[in-house]
Amino acid sequence: MNFKIRRAAKEDCKDISRMIMELAVYEKMPDQVKISHEELERDGFCQNPFFECLVAEVPEEHKSNEGFTIIGYALYFYTYSTWKGRAVYVEDLYVMPEFRGNGIGTGLLSKAAEIGKKKQCVRLQLSVLNWNTPSRDFYAGKGAQDLTVTEGWHTIRFDGQNLDKLANEAPKD
Amino acid sequence: MDFSIRAANLDDCKDIARMIMVSGHVRAHLETDGFSKNPFFHGIIAEVPEQHRTREGHTKIGYALYFYSYSSWKGRSIYMEDLYVMPEFRGKGVGKALMSKVAQLALAAGCHQLNFTVLDWNKPSMDFYLSQGCFDVTSSLGYHCMRCEGEALEHLAQL
Repeated sequence: MNFKIRRAAKEDCKDISRMIMELAVYEKMPDQVKISHEELERDGFCQNPFFECLVAEVPEEHKSNEGFTIIGYALYFYTYSTWKGRAVYVEDLYVMPEFRGNGIGTGLLSKAAEIGKKKQCVRLQLSVLNWNTPSRDFYAGKGAQDLTVTEGWHTIRFDGQNLDKLANEAPKD
Repeated sequence: MDFSIRAANLDDCKDIARMIMVSGHVRAHLETDGFSKNPFFHGIIAEVPEQHRTREGHTKIGYALYFYSYSSWKGRSIYMEDLYVMPEFRGKGVGKALMSKVAQLALAAGCHQLNFTVLDWNKPSMDFYLSQGCFDVTSSLGYHCMRCEGEALEHLAQL
């Protein structure tokens, strides 16, 4: 199948937002999506962007059933390890179901890895749900290690009222 | 015990490197990566007055390193990469103060989450964090941390 991977432009944010919701539905947590294309436009295309994004595009003749030509995306940002240095974190990787099996997911992930490599990143990291076997197999096939299983790493989070409470306890300057 | 928390600067890199090394790992290029035009991380330092300095004469006795991240569901977030207090200064609220400062900086920047990772066998740390009101995303939601590096990453970048 003919497809192109390119850097997202501000105008792509509506399509990216649409696909973020599709991915959340797939992950069985659609009620968790609180941001829209407006936050993506503000945070991804400012002076010091919080993330970068790649989109996968198909020609008009291959558009989706609903008429979309932007049919996949990878949203990522740069992170840091005090042990190993610069890294890339792929927050989202998604291809619309009707376009899977054509190497588009691999294309998006590889492009993110290539971009990271140009910035001297030595790691690419991401999270995957334990029940998501197709994705776990996909990443294992690319040589990714499951650090939760092999080393016992858990992601811990403060949000909502717990984050507010923690912040209120900070020492006064 | 009297201590202060402040933003790290270029001159703190030697002390940050010292404290990273104590935990047994080789440090990355802190000066270039943290203190140039588009830094990959930011740092805060915990300092004690001269009269409380360590036997070796150090007054910088703890640090936290963090960077901005993003959730496609919730927006701006902060990731705390390191939180460390020298053993002789623990149990005095320094770790809590460092973490609270990161939380305060998170809110000031419009972030909705503060994330970090902990090893599941590290019971003292896990108990400390849970007592402060966080939740274990891996245990409760099932997210696993995945990593690609070395030859696998090289191969992926060339596909």
